[in-house]
Amino acid sequence: MTAAPTQPASARPPKPPISWKVPAGIAAFLLVTWWAGSGRFGVGLSIPELFAGLERGQRIMEDLFDPRWQAWRGLIGPFIETLRIAILAALLGCAAAFGMAVLTSRISAPGLRSFLAGKAVLNVVRSIPDLLYAMVFVAVFSIGPLAGIVALILFNIGVVGKLTSETIDGIDTGPLEAAQAAGARHSQAVRTSVVPSVLPNFVAYSLYAFELNLRASLVVGFVGAGGIGQVLFVALNGFRYDVVSLIVICIFIVVFLVESVSIALRRRLV
Amino acid sequence: MTAPHVSTSSTPTPPSTAEKAVRPDKPRRYGPMGLALTAAAAGLWAAWTSGIDPAAILRGPEQLVRILGLMLLPPDLGTVPDALAGMIESLQIAWVGTIIGAVISLPLGLLAAKNVGGRFSTTMARQVLNLLRSLPELVLAILFVSMIGLGPLAGALAIGLGSIGTLGKLTAEVVEGIDRGPIEAAEAVGGERFQVLRWGVLPQALPEIMAFWLYRFEINVRASAILGLVGAGGIGGMLSNFLSYRRYAAAGTAILIVIATTIAIDMVSSRIRRRIIAGPRGPKPTADPIPSADAL
Repeated sequence: MTAAPTQPASARPPKPPISWKVPAGIAAFLLVTWWAGSGRFGVGLSIPELFAGLERGQRIMEDLFDPRWQAWRGLIGPFIETLRIAILAALLGCAAAFGMAVLTSRISAPGLRSFLAGKAVLNVVRSIPDLLYAMVFVAVFSIGPLAGIVALILFNIGVVGKLTSETIDGIDTGPLEAAQAAGARHSQAVRTSVVPSVLPNFVAYSLYAFELNLRASLVVGFVGAGGIGQVLFVALNGFRYDVVSLIVICIFIVVFLVESVSIALRRRLV
Repeated sequence: MTAPHVSTSSTPTPPSTAEKAVRPDKPRRYGPMGLALTAAAAGLWAAWTSGIDPAAILRGPEQLVRILGLMLLPPDLGTVPDALAGMIESLQIAWVGTIIGAVISLPLGLLAAKNVGGRFSTTMARQVLNLLRSLPELVLAILFVSMIGLGPLAGALAIGLGSIGTLGKLTAEVVEGIDRGPIEAAEAVGGERFQVLRWGVLPQALPEIMAFWLYRFEINVRASAILGLVGAGGIGGMLSNFLSYRRYAAAGTAILIVIATTIAIDMVSSRIRRRIIAGPRGPKPTADPIPSADAL
């Protein structure tokens, strides 16, 4: 701004006054951050500690960058189990999620009571982390892929159910009104107008859930719920970072392949 | 479907040629059918080869009810103070982790946006973000625990590093969607690169980016509640101990605290997000904005 203003200063619109809430919000944010980051009350964030850790981690890093390629044969079986877990969880979980989504959208819910109940159930289902489900279901079904499948089914109901119900909330209500005007019962109206308009989105979310399940099967395996995660856990506990590195690379490749296919499919669908 | 209903199934006369011409052919949709068949085949294969004992599935509900009963009837009130302390530590981990993720992902996301970064930096930044996105937080947590020792700092770093990938990608998407006008205006009055960013790009993109930070905080609260499993602090370590020593009542109480906290955080955070996006007098949206699918 080197040129002198050509207009009189009074022609400028007044600067909007800053509400007291802005500095108060910033102060609260800084206070909470200091509290959460401090060594005394919180996590103890410190930069020197970080660098000391990185130095200590040198051997781990070296192992990580030198994967043990010859161990790949032992990974095929667990990977196939992971695939099975992800497929079954995605199919069953997304089917159940569709029902939940129809119940929990204002547009398609059959009644207020089922709407409220469905919303409450979905909120609780969504609030529990996938690994926690896995821990509980390992206690229920004992160690094995079944616990992983059931845990991921619930996870999918939460994610896909919420996304699909929000999509139903946003659909054009014209076809629904047309179906009702033609004398359709509620179930018929939902079947002929809501389902076709959200089906592409629902399939896209389901494909996405499948990807998420592949990734998640890594962590649910940690607590004994089967798949590649269990192998990873054993490798990590045995400090075999060269095997860990190979597993992570394989997961990266598998997820990348599935993701590319799924993104291409999703793009065509929506 | 505007064809007049002249012929119905009860009329024996064949439909006139005119009517036939008006009706469009029913589209044959091989794509969706193929997808459905593939899904069904995959499901059958997985179920067939899984070797899961059907009897175990049938026993499941009974077992589940039994364990839920042990967990909730009655809850173990003695663990509430410890569990609350653990949950607060989890929240701290999520908070610090989200801030680490936000601070690092902002420049990376700007570099990864095609309308801000150069071609080389865009490609590089995208690859870095992709790589970070593929590493689960739990694996990162284990690595950090073995490097800097047990404790919440390892968890916060794992959450932070794990957040960079998605946050950076979302930031890039938001920045690519902004209006070019203010950028051109800032360039036209002689703004330098940083000034263009500050006055042309950030004011448009920051509200949405901040909404994504909050959204990520909600996700990170869930993640930090389980990281304790590998010794990275928070309520997760307590939970996995309770479950492996079959202290189901204590575990149930801790789980209830996790559920209540996450629901409360979600509610507050989604209100703040709406306020950031829509403004103080903005319209009240009926539903949450659906973020790009990768945000979840």
